Amino acid sequence: MIELTIDGKRIEAEKGMTILEVAKANNIYIPHLCWDRRLKPYGGCRLCLVEVEGQRKLMAACSTPADNGMVIHTDTPNLQKARRTVLELLLVHHPLDCPVCDKAGECRLQDLAYKYGPSESRFYAERKHDPEATSALIERNPNRCILCGRCVRVCWEHQGVGAINFIGRGFKTKISPAFEETLDCEFCGQCVDACPVGALGAKPYKYRARAWFLESHDSICPYCSVGCTLTLDLREGRILRVRGVDGKGVNDGDLCGKGRFGFDFIYGDTRLKTPLVRKAGELVESTWEETLYYVANRLRDIKRQYGADSIGAIGSARAGIEDNYMLKKFMKEVIGSDNIDTSARLGYAWVLRALNDTYGINQNPIKLDSPIGKEVVLVLESDLTSTHPIFGLKFLEAKNEGTYLMVADPRKTKLARRSSKWIRIKPASGTVFLLGLINYAIREGAHLREEKEIEGIDGLIESVKPYTPEKVSELIGVDTEQFIEAASRFVNAETRLIALTVGAAENQKGYETVLAAANLLMLLGEGPDSLQVPSDYSNTLGAWLSGTRPTEGGKDLYEMLYNPGSLKALYVMGEDPLVTMPDGNTVKKTLEELEFLVVQDIRLSETAKLADVVLPAAAWSEKEGTFINSQGIPQPFPKVVSPQGDSVPDWQILRNLARVMEHDLGITELGKLREELSRIQTDRGQQRWRFSPVEVPSVAQTTTDYPIIMVTGNIMQHSGALSVMSKSLSHVLSDAFVQISPEDAERFGVKDGEFIKISSPLGEVFIKARVSDEIPEGMLFVPVHFAHARVNYLVSHSRLGNAHPTPVKIESTSTATPRR
Amino acid sequence: MEIFLLKNIDNPESHRIQVYQQTGGYEQLKKALSMKPEDIIQEVKNSGLRGRGGAGFPTGMKWDFASRDPKLPKYLVCNADEGEPGTFKDRPILEKNPHLLIEGMVISAYALKAERGYIYLRGEYPHAKVVLEEAIREAYESGFLGQDILGSGFSFDLSVHQGAGAYICGEETALIDSLEGRRGQPRIKPPFPVNVGAWGMPTVVNNVETLSNLPLIIKIGAEEYKKIGNPECPGPKLYCVSGMVERPGVYELPMGTTLKEIIYEHCGGIKGGGQLKAVIPGGISTPVLTPDKIDVQMDFVSLPKVGSMLGSGAVMVFDESVCLVRVCWRAIRFFEHESCGKCTPCREGVGWMRTVLERIESGFGRKGDIELLQDIASNITGKTFCPLGDGAAGVVLNFIRNFPEEFDYHIQNKKCMVEA
Ligand SMILES: Cc1cc2nc3c(=O)[nH]c(=O)nc-3n(C[C@H](O)[C@H](O)[C@H](O)COP(=O)(O)O)c2cc1C
Ligand code: SF4
Ligand code: SF4
Ligand code: SF4
Ligand code: SF4
Ligand code: FES
Repeated sequence: MIELTIDGKRIEAEKGMTILEVAKANNIYIPHLCWDRRLKPYGGCRLCLVEVEGQRKLMAACSTPADNGMVIHTDTPNLQKARRTVLELLLVHHPLDCPVCDKAGECRLQDLAYKYGPSESRFYAERKHDPEATSALIERNPNRCILCGRCVRVCWEHQGVGAINFIGRGFKTKISPAFEETLDCEFCGQCVDACPVGALGAKPYKYRARAWFLESHDSICPYCSVGCTLTLDLREGRILRVRGVDGKGVNDGDLCGKGRFGFDFIYGDTRLKTPLVRKAGELVESTWEETLYYVANRLRDIKRQYGADSIGAIGSARAGIEDNYMLKKFMKEVIGSDNIDTSARLGYAWVLRALNDTYGINQNPIKLDSPIGKEVVLVLESDLTSTHPIFGLKFLEAKNEGTYLMVADPRKTKLARRSSKWIRIKPASGTVFLLGLINYAIREGAHLREEKEIEGIDGLIESVKPYTPEKVSELIGVDTEQFIEAASRFVNAETRLIALTVGAAENQKGYETVLAAANLLMLLGEGPDSLQVPSDYSNTLGAWLSGTRPTEGGKDLYEMLYNPGSLKALYVMGEDPLVTMPDGNTVKKTLEELEFLVVQDIRLSETAKLADVVLPAAAWSEKEGTFINSQGIPQPFPKVVSPQGDSVPDWQILRNLARVMEHDLGITELGKLREELSRIQTDRGQQRWRFSPVEVPSVAQTTTDYPIIMVTGNIMQHSGALSVMSKSLSHVLSDAFVQISPEDAERFGVKDGEFIKISSPLGEVFIKARVSDEIPEGMLFVPVHFAHARVNYLVSHSRLGNAHPTPVKIESTSTATPRR
Repeated sequence: MEIFLLKNIDNPESHRIQVYQQTGGYEQLKKALSMKPEDIIQEVKNSGLRGRGGAGFPTGMKWDFASRDPKLPKYLVCNADEGEPGTFKDRPILEKNPHLLIEGMVISAYALKAERGYIYLRGEYPHAKVVLEEAIREAYESGFLGQDILGSGFSFDLSVHQGAGAYICGEETALIDSLEGRRGQPRIKPPFPVNVGAWGMPTVVNNVETLSNLPLIIKIGAEEYKKIGNPECPGPKLYCVSGMVERPGVYELPMGTTLKEIIYEHCGGIKGGGQLKAVIPGGISTPVLTPDKIDVQMDFVSLPKVGSMLGSGAVMVFDESVCLVRVCWRAIRFFEHESCGKCTPCREGVGWMRTVLERIESGFGRKGDIELLQDIASNITGKTFCPLGDGAAGVVLNFIRNFPEEFDYHIQNKKCMVEA
């Protein structure tokens, strides 16, 4: 602790804080423009100058460390003059086009100029008039730029990208992508929020509203399970823009591109406006009343004829817990069936199972800050900055603060690029890598370090015997020396963490991967906090916790979808199994064999196109609800716009349907529903450690017919099948593609941009190839978001929950035409 | 005084290793390698050597800081960016006596336990690049660079990194940015390069001339060294004199030689017997002096007493045929061009001063322009991020303070006093 005086006030502060940080913590205002809490001090704008007694020069508060005994003045006539001059200088060449600037009203330069009084500018200089530069989502107006560098620094230091920089020098300095090309980046939009003036703007927002007419509401992001707080800006009942606001939410102001730009999915062209009922083979518009009676009758008939067990339901990882809970209640109380599940079954359920089989716990909510301060962090075959962007940022932050970031991944992900050590393992060999670490740790005697013996140690020792460093390095495709170095780092660290994702859309990791990670960590004496596996989507965890799964022996997703004929009727709420789940052929067969398929969704999904009845649901922001994020925090989000057409919130549709079926679910309003839900348990339960050896880990096997491994997953700008509805996100990327290494492109005669045929024993698809060194030889990477690509038709599913990377064959089709 | 820094300068082969070794070159390296690194640092501290790059920071102290930092590896960087207008003192060492610098660097690196060194060379010195690279090759061949130098177990690699023509890259933190391959812009201090420098590691940046003093200190020892020139900041000094003198050039003289002696004895007085009007003693960033101040000793302690600084020791002499408004305008044009653009006062303010000076110089000056210039300049002073902007403001303030009548005349008569 140090003590100093600011404006006559004696203040205690932590050593290492800057003067500005101390002042902020004590509510003393010092103007600033280039400072950003998240970034290293820059000291460029010179607005934050203060007087420090005994110092000849004025000091920049943002970049001067506070020191014991300092006597600081923040508001003297001399400083006022200095600040007025800085502002005058900033305005000299500024276009002052506030009347047509979208930032007007919330511009820091405007505010400061106002605060420090009118400066009659004594200098008549030519205003800057560089042309505006546009890109998919971000517009730059270089003339308004005050060169505070926040965009450049947020992009590089915080996002780990480096898409823009200063070019030129002195007065001619400008912000620009390399070689003044068009901006082609992640489009996270963090630079837009960081810009204090109107030099950077979100293109979809351009000329849409004056800041003072906007009405703002805080909400929760509908995409991934980080659960960022979004500040929605509306005008005339329409969401025009989303911002991250410093200090708000688990994200503390940070947002990724999905959260920032993806909100417009609710205005997508494919939104459903009325119920649809299949008549003479065609889906035709219908009224709610007619439709609900029809559904009620069909369900009743099927129940009567085949029994309640012939009816199943699939809930949604994107709908609120209220909606999912209501579906469960409907199935249980009205239908009398426990056949209900969600997509979590394919991914996150296996994580929970593995945690239960090792640590003995029921859940393991992540902590966003968990990587910070760890000595070694291992990220295993997971593109966290794409799937869970704001969680991903914490790994960059940890690295910046000295953590040794080890990334084991065949793909050159952003974290791999920014890691301390990138181990390019073969696709889907993460589990074997972990087994090798266990073997190494045992050799090092790590298991003897802990006092208490953990159940099953002998079995574990036996099970990893074959995974010697030599063998493992061969299996994962790296030098033995490199493997041993990494192993030694990891095993001998004081503190460590393993992070990975196991998602429904990913086929290279599974149950056994989490088992292996947990075994390794327990061996090293680490509890479940050291294993960070986030749930997939905004409410994957919430759907699970609200009981949207068989709890009394009912059929799970595997039995319902991959066992044609096991059901006669299926009620699908907010899920598109035909696109998002593996083995599309079997799913399709199952759905086609149903006697009755109801799909309740916000849009006419691929699955809905097969349905007998399609019910239009209100979307996120058109209804209120609650998501439980991957930290286990229930976060309510408000209704801010009216539902499209005749759409109705999911839980209300179910309430109404129950009424039509002459059942009172006892729930008329949300409050009642939430009361029941408040009993949800999010704690992980008592730990009881035991080793659970991984029997035979699947190592991806190629054959002469199928010589290359296809890995599926999510990409940065998209999330499941939802984001493709967003026009903004589709501006960045709307077409399916497959990434292929330059070596394989050469070997198989594939040209960048051409359509290639990919086939597996399950089927074939045609996709545009992108040659990229992000992918190693012998691997393809395909994002799963695009319905028309039908990538999931090639992928098998695994009832054991293990990794099931898909060996495929590829052919150039320079001559063939793509089939849709 | 014996010539040391510019020894052999008249020998056309002075840059060759044979010539250097024939006159005792690399002997001091052998001696230094038999000393303990700490003892060398102590010797440098005792010698009172102060950096010749402009700021005059005590070299021994800087080295001490760097050697106390436990992080490894450490880097030694020679600042050969020499971009300050009027400055060309490092050039003869770089082009004519490169082995002196290399020997000095190996000794310094040994003292600092740095195993990698760079010479950050001004982009506009292409000849020096050729000479240095050849000299480095010779030194490698003779075992003065590379692995296990002279069997001492100490290894040091050295290479030349060419700058891209930005004056700001002479500032040590911007230099490091540029060396790392980034846009050269000054960094925040602290942390200082001695703790967090190139690639985050402890880094010592020293001027060419500073490092070239090392062999001498090793040779004669701190006690003898201190006897050269002003004992408060001793050693030989290179003064580079340009402008209206009979014999402009680089002079090696004891630190503290008076300005008068330099101009009137060594340089043969004002060209054509003219009248001295003004002199800048240490490069364009140092305050201009009027002729009544030229009895001052040219060193780090004496010049501040008359309101100026030694800077790089670049003396620029103006006689009465020179228009000082024009000099001032040219100087500010330079600063405007070289401003890196990072901080507001320098980026925006220097250009504004240039505009006002330009209209005064070209006969369109307005009443109040002088006060305006003073106001802008005093608002830049002390508020910029690095000394470049300060220097620019200082030029304007000092020219106006010392020669107000020239500015007045320009504005009133719409033309130059000198032409009149
Ligand atoms: C704008 C600016 C330009 C500079 N240019 C040079 C230069 O060209 N050469 C140099 O040696 N030092 C230059 N310096 C000083 C360096 O920052 C640094 O102080 C010096 O290299 C330290 O070496 P020394 O201790 O041996 O003097 C410059 C400083 C500033 C602020
Ligand atoms: S949108 Fe994101 S990645 Fe693109 S320039 Fe801005 S900060 Fe960088
Ligand atoms: S574009 Fe905005 S954030 Fe970037 S430097 Fe200019 S004013 Fe600052
Ligand atoms: S997608 Fe995830 S990381 Fe991105 S804004 Fe939404 S919740 Fe945050
Ligand atoms: S004073 Fe500011 S703008 Fe000027 S060179 Fe230094 S940092 Fe750059
Ligand atoms: S906020 Fe300190 S200089 Fe900009």
